[in-house]
Parts: sequence; C-alpha cells; structure tokens
Amino acid sequence: MNTRRSRFVGLLAAGALILAACGSDDDATDDTGDDAAAGEDAADDAEIDEDDVVGDPDGEFEVFALLPQGNDQPYGSTYLPPMQEMAAELGISLTITNSQYDADTQASECEVAVAAAPDLIILWPAVGDTVRPCLSAAQDAGIPVTITNSDVNPEDEDLTRGYSGPDTYGQGVASAELMCEAADGAEIGIIVVNGLTGNSTAINRREGFVDTVEAQCPNVTILAEQPGDWNADDSQIAASEMLTAVGPDNVQGIYAADDTMAAGAIDALVARGLDPAEMIITSIGNTFLGNPLVIDGSLNGTVFQSSSWDGENAVTLAHEILTEDPSERVVRFMPDVKVTADNATDADVAPEW
Amino acid sequence: MSQTTSEPTTEPEPQQGLALGAAPGDLLQRLRTAVARRTEGRAVALLTLVVITVAIVEPRALTSYPVTLGRIALIGLVALGLTAVILMGELDLGVASTLAVSGVVMASFESLTVGIIVALLGGLLIGVVNAFFVVIVGINSFIATLGMLFFLRGAAFVISGEQPVRVANADTALQFGRPLVGPLTPRILIFIVVFIALHVFVTRMRVGREFYAVGGNREAAYDAGIPVVRRVFTGFMISGFVSALAGVINAMERTAADPTAGGTVLLASFAAAIIGGVLLNGGRGSIVGALLGAATLGILQVSLTLSGVQVDVQNIIIGSVLLLAVISDPASVRRVMARASTFLSERSKPQPAG
Amino acid sequence: MMTDEPVAETPSPDQAAATTPAAEPGIEERAVTVTEWMADRGIFIFTALLILAAAVFIDGFASLTNITDVFNRAAPIGIVAVGMTFVVISANYLDLSVVAQVATSAVVLIAVSNEYGFVLAILAAIVIALVYGFVNGVAVGVFKANAVIVTLSTTFIGLGLLRWVSGGSIYFGPPDGPVRVFGSTRLGPIPLSMIVLVAMTLLLSFVLNRTTFGFLVKAYGSNREATRLTGANTAMVVIGAFVITALAAMVGGFVLAAFSNTAVSSMSTGFDFRALAAIIVGGTSVFGGRGSVMRTLLGVVFVSVLTNIMVLSGLGFGMQQMAIGLLIVAAVSVDALARKAGTS
Repeated sequence: MNTRRSRFVGLLAAGALILAACGSDDDATDDTGDDAAAGEDAADDAEIDEDDVVGDPDGEFEVFALLPQGNDQPYGSTYLPPMQEMAAELGISLTITNSQYDADTQASECEVAVAAAPDLIILWPAVGDTVRPCLSAAQDAGIPVTITNSDVNPEDEDLTRGYSGPDTYGQGVASAELMCEAADGAEIGIIVVNGLTGNSTAINRREGFVDTVEAQCPNVTILAEQPGDWNADDSQIAASEMLTAVGPDNVQGIYAADDTMAAGAIDALVARGLDPAEMIITSIGNTFLGNPLVIDGSLNGTVFQSSSWDGENAVTLAHEILTEDPSERVVRFMPDVKVTADNATDADVAPEW
Repeated sequence: MSQTTSEPTTEPEPQQGLALGAAPGDLLQRLRTAVARRTEGRAVALLTLVVITVAIVEPRALTSYPVTLGRIALIGLVALGLTAVILMGELDLGVASTLAVSGVVMASFESLTVGIIVALLGGLLIGVVNAFFVVIVGINSFIATLGMLFFLRGAAFVISGEQPVRVANADTALQFGRPLVGPLTPRILIFIVVFIALHVFVTRMRVGREFYAVGGNREAAYDAGIPVVRRVFTGFMISGFVSALAGVINAMERTAADPTAGGTVLLASFAAAIIGGVLLNGGRGSIVGALLGAATLGILQVSLTLSGVQVDVQNIIIGSVLLLAVISDPASVRRVMARASTFLSERSKPQPAG
Repeated sequence: MMTDEPVAETPSPDQAAATTPAAEPGIEERAVTVTEWMADRGIFIFTALLILAAAVFIDGFASLTNITDVFNRAAPIGIVAVGMTFVVISANYLDLSVVAQVATSAVVLIAVSNEYGFVLAILAAIVIALVYGFVNGVAVGVFKANAVIVTLSTTFIGLGLLRWVSGGSIYFGPPDGPVRVFGSTRLGPIPLSMIVLVAMTLLLSFVLNRTTFGFLVKAYGSNREATRLTGANTAMVVIGAFVITALAAMVGGFVLAAFSNTAVSSMSTGFDFRALAAIIVGGTSVFGGRGSVMRTLLGVVFVSVLTNIMVLSGLGFGMQQMAIGLLIVAAVSVDALARKAGTS
C-alpha cells in the first residue's frame, strides 16, 4: 500500500510539473511578443484588482466599464491600456468586464454593475438593440451611463449621458467616399468583404458603405458580398471565391470592413497574379497591417480608427459627466480621418493596433 | 461509450431513481447510496468552498443576491433541460442554437403572445425532430444534434436577416425584466418553477424516474417494459422546450432577439451539468446536481466580475475548477492509484504497444 | 450512454478489427446489399457527384484558382480533423481544445519567430502541443474523466492563458519572413498547405492502419474492457490519441498562420465542431472503433466543396450553416437507414 501511495504521489507531482511547464511555456511567449503593451496591460489589471479588494482608497470615483471585448481582440487590447492610464490620471477606479459579444452575458454584467452602485457606468454595447433594459435599470438606480465605441439606437439616447467613439456607420460612409473618389465616375464592379455575421460594427459599417455608394456613386456596383469574420484567412478565401463567382475581369475594386480583411483580400489578388495596385481597394482601420499597404499603394485608402483615442475619451467623457454634470447629452465623435498615400506617413495617423 | 463505466454503473442505475423517489424512510440507506453514487457530493463540497471563499473575498456577490440568482438562472435554465436528455444517455448540442432561433422567431411576430406560443411550440418541435432522428432513424444524438447546432444557427440568421430583431412591443417586454416578487425577476421565478417541476418529474413521477432506467441500461429498460422510444421523445422535447423558453426570456429581457445569442450557453450549461455530477454516460445525476453546478459557476462568475478580474483570468480559473472537479472523482482517483501501480510494473516488462 | 441501439451493449472482440458498425453484434457473415455498399462508399459517391454537378453547372468551379481555393479552405481544418479522428475513433467524442491549440500554435509561430527565430518557434509550439496532448490524455486515459469536459476545461484554460499572455494582439510576420515563405510556396500550381494536408493524411493513415498503436486505438474504441483485458496499456492509447490530435492541431495552426502571415487568438473559432462535422460526414463513427483518416479527408473535401459552391452561388452565411447542418444529418441518416435495411 505504501509503495502504491508513493507512486501515486509521484504521478501527481509529475502532473503538477506538466501544468507548471504549461504555464512557463506561455510566459515565454509573453516575453517574445512584439507588443510590449501586453505586459503592461496585465500589470495594470493587477493594480486595479488590488484597488478593488482594498476598497479603492485612492479612487475618487468608482466606474464600471462594460465592454464586449478586451484582450481577446486586437482592438480591445490596445483600447484598454490608454483607458486605464487615463483613469488613473483622473482618479477613477475602473472595474472592467468583457462579455465577448454575448448580449445576455453583458446584460448580466450590467445587473452586477448596477448592484455594485458605482458612480457611473461606461457601456460599449455588445448588441446595440439589446441594451435598453440595462440603461433603464441604471437610470432607476440613479447611475449615469455613458456609451463608448458604438452608440445606442436613437430612441435609447435619452437614457444615456453621452457618447464618445467612432461613428461606425460614418466609417462605412468615409470608406465609400474614398471608393467613389477613386472610381471617379467610371462604371466599376466591386466585391465586399464584411465583418463577422450579426456583429453590430459589421452591420453598421456595411450599411454606411452601401447607403453611400448608392447615393453618391451609383456607377459603383456591388457584385458580391461575403463575411470575412474579421480575419485575414477567411477574407482571403472568401475574396478569391467571389472573384471566381463574378469573374475577375468584372471586378475593379474591393471594399473590406477592416484592414486585416483587406490584407487577406490583397493576398487573394496576389495569389492569382493580379496587381492590387491596379484595383481600387478601401477599408477601415489604418492598423499596423493596413498602414504599410496604403504606403505601398496596394490599399487605396482606409479610415483611421484610433483605439487610444477611443479608450481615453471613454474615460474623459465619464469624468466630465461626473464633475461638470452637463444638462445636454454629450456626443464626441472620433474624427473619421481618411488615410491615403498622401498622408499615410503623417505622425498624427500613425497606426496604433 | 457505454463500455467506459459499464462495470459498476449500469446495473444499479434504475434503483438510483427509485431511491431518490422513495418516501423519506431509510435516511441512512439513502445517504449511503447518495455518497456511494457521489452524484451531488462533490458539487455540494465545491459549492460550499466557493461560497465560503466568496463570502470572505467578495461578499458583494452574496449581498446582491438577485444579481447572482439572475446569473445562475441564465446559465442554469438550459442546463436543467439538458440534464433531462443527459440522464437518458443522450446529448443535445443544439441547445444554444435553439435558444437563438426561438428568440428570433418570437421577435418576428407583431403580437408578443403569438410570438411566445409559436417559439415555445417551435422548441417542442425541435425536440421532436431530434428524437425522431435518434430513435426512429437511429443516428447517434451527438450527430443529430450537431446537425441541429449548425442548421438552427443558420436558420436564426436567415429568419432575422443577419441582424438583431427588436421585439415589436418593447415596453411590455421591458416590464418583463423588472422584479416581480420582491427582488426576483420573472427569469428567476421561471427558473425556480422549471427546477421544481423537473425535479418532481424525475424523482416523483414514474415517467421521469424511467429516464434513469433508459440512461442506465437501455436493454434492461426495454425488457422491463419501459416505452424507451416515448421516453426519449419526452426528454428531447423537454430540452427543446426549455432552451426555447430561455431564448424567449432572453429576447424579452433584452427587448430584442440576437441571432448570435447563446454563444457561451452550450458549454456553460454542459459545465454546470457536469459539476453537478450528471454523467454524460447517462443514468446518473439529478436536477439538483445541475442546479448546484449552475450555482457554483454563477457565483464564481459574478464574484470574479465584481472583483474586476479580467475575463481571460476568469476563464483560467473556471477551467481549472472544472478540470479539478472532473478528475477528482473518488472512483477515478482509486482507479488512478491502481493504474499507477500497474503502469509502473508494466514498464519493467517488454511492451508491444508503442 | 449515447448508443442509439440497445444492442451496442453486447461487445464482441471481433469488432476490434472489423469494419462493420460497432452496433452490430457478432461477426459479419451476411451478404453485402447494394444499399449497404452505397452507404459504405456514400461520402465518396456524394463527393464525386457534387464535384461533377458543380463542374457542369457552376461557371469557374473547375478553374485551377478555384480548386486552389477549395484546398485552401480545406487545409487547416482538414489537418486538425485528420488528427482528431484518433480521438473520435478511441470513442472519446471529440477534442474541444483544438480551438485553443490551433490559436496558440498560430500565435506562437509568428510571435516567437519574429523575436527568436523560426526554429525556436516550432520547438516552442511542439512543447505546447505535447503539454496539451498529455494533460488531455492523462485526464481522460488515466483519471477516466469525460473527454468533453476535460477538453472544455483545457480550452478555457488554454485560451485564457493565450489571451492573457499575448494580450489578444494581432501578430504578423515580415513580408519576406520564413512564415510567409512557408505560406506562399507552391509546387507548380499546388500550394504547400495542400501537400501538408495530404502528407499528414497519409502519415496518420499509416499510423492508424499499419501500426500496433493504430490497431489498439480502434480496438479500444470498439471495446475498452476487452482491450484492457488483452493486457494493452489503454492509458497510453488514449494519451497517444490526444497527443496525435494536439500535434495535428499544431500543424493546422502553422498552416493557418502561414496562409495569411497573421495570427490572432480568435482565428480558430468554431474549429472544434467544424472538424467534428467533417469527421462525421466522412463516416467515422462517434461510437468509436470504426472509421479512417482517409474518410475524414473526404469529409473535409466534401464540406469545403459544398461551402465553395454556396459562396460561388452568392448564398449568405445563414444558408451555408443550414446546408451544413442538413448535410450532417442527411449523410448519417442515409448510413443508418441503409444499415437498418441491411439488417432487417
């Protein structure tokens, strides 16, 4: 029995070692990541946890931020650090949640937030149509709510104190304007790569793009559209298949709902031996991936979305509401800066994510 | 998989159901059976541990109990329906998609009442279709419902036009999310009702107790004259109905139905059922177990959220708890000890296997 | 258990090697009917018919670029699926953690090779894959825990760790880096990813059909108790199945990352059930014991061709999902009905 037990203990120890090895492997990847923000980010989070447990002695205001993404998405992971820095600067103690775009999880997190009775709630709606109950619950509890990144429906605006962030519909509009300008009145056919099916940002950008093309340049015809799920692999295959479906000769342009997917679509062209510079390609983002493509001419234009602007302004707007208590709803749109070869190297449009 | 645990489990299965259903008589006997069969024991231990830890570290999760109850109801409702199917040794992978499609169907109707009725009937119909493929056509429930997972999700996108659908009568729907009795919202009340109904069904009613027999040893159930086919239909209809109910509640509370809804539901409800000791091999476990599992997960999630722990770390913690729960089965630990000794002694002998 | 037919409880040792369904007791002696013959080769016939019909009716389907697209669609998920076939055949349902494994491997490949070089990246990925395989395999094979829940837990832990550590950033390699070269190399018109898929399939097919280990996986899948009684080390069989799955998922992650030269932790969403769908459509039984790697390859090709046809026809995402759902049920129903007709 004794030997059996010691063997068992040995096995457990081996298991523990494996688990430990697992942890250290991943730590190794951390050091090697080309993005130093990741480390800082984790450190920031740790600080915030501590604050909360201790009872936030140095936080002047307590604020819940209900977000649908965070470290699981490239945008979210560069949105968080500026947000947390700004909060620390303004004396705001932040509690951040991430519902991973599940509306029901976010609603439950909203209940948690209302129950915690913070000074203010910052909400980034997971699904815009579903946030009204959360807003009215906060209102009943006397907690002001500000919206970040994607605004609520017009009929829900009166339940919120303000909005800061990009105009996701407007981004679609801006990208369409780039497309219309580049087409310059010529009759062209384009294919469209959308974001993840059912996702609010994907829906709004598509609407903005399609509406504007119809209104401003009916000479541009959308021949086919498919989702690219915000990633380059799916976008590349979908774009290539759409080219096959409508015939590559009929396609003179591509619109992709973000730069990552535009990069995939450009790869699809290159793989077919087509020159992306000869096509009119527009997208949204001006990311680390997209900006060089604008500079080398394969991407005609993109719309700058600054994650740091977004994260910082979410907090500064909240602070303004808490300290100045404006009577009107404050709306602060991120400027939709169009990035083309002319200004792609400017410092004020340096990519952030 | 029947072979997995066939040795100790298959035979006494039906008795478990009967024992739970028997009038409170031989308490010691029942307790011993329960401990021996360890369906809920670990769940109780785990829940106790979690509650004590939370009470010390993040008491807000307990003081603001309506919120925590709401989260438990969100995870637990689907888990309850799923348990009815798992007890019979079947599986329903389509629950999350059923939730999404029924919400979308409900929101597509002008009248709330009609929408709710159609959506719930739809849930029953989905259960019937699942059971048809499983017992009439004869394909494994894992595959039949895997097909449903894709098909119904696609249907939700097609019906909704790939966008959230707002409920026509948003103000009535908004009222639905408000507390009804004390601090309890209709969701929590419905959850309690479904819990009691299902618990009574599988412990006190003959039809429900037969679920254990069907899941434990199906051949023996046939021989005992249990209408296995009808029971499987009942089980899948319960699961389909409860998932549809969850979809309707979600759409009502949110005032809109999202075709992508339920992304986290399938795996969370599985986890809840398993923590509660519901064996995926069937015939074991209970509705109470599923509730305990959902409570553990719900309290854990709410307290981690209140403490501001980021979701990635939450997932690491929840995954570790789940892994520990599933490998800390006393029987498997005993088996591991035996295995470890044979393993080591076999190592010294020449082995043909690579 | 998940058996649809009560007879499944009566195991016979012969089933280990037999190609007959595990649900049928005894040795197969009766004549093979036409329907059964059809059902057995159903996926092959379906795929052939589908390709033929598409080639005739859909413009551009038969073009070289489009065939390349089909294989680009098939390669990453196919490599994952051929590996996961081992877990399915060993009657352990599926490995949900391939989602975390593929994402981790993709991110590690690009992030580590950017910083420390290609070789170290591959070494790191191999170590991580082995850890996944061993943790899953030990929990399932030694602790006898349910595979669905074990791999669900490791998915939570793995994705959590990856995102916590990588910060969810999108990683991309330099345009002339080794990852890019790997992703864009072609042999004539054939992309390297497709060659990797075929090579993996042949290799794993050999392991399953020609080695003692492969034989034991099948035997264990159709009858655990009998396999254990023969004195085989069943724990090692299960661990082996999960390690093979993990290594295949790692290669799948490489191919996925190399294809676009980008990696992000959310890029493998849905790989778990999509791989399982391909395995099932191919005709591998989820009862375990019966199935083959080649069938999985066919299943992957079939699903990829079907998706390709739907995209070419301009069908939306919802319709594509519905069709895949119907296809899964139809493929397996035909199989089940043919067998019923055969036995009655």
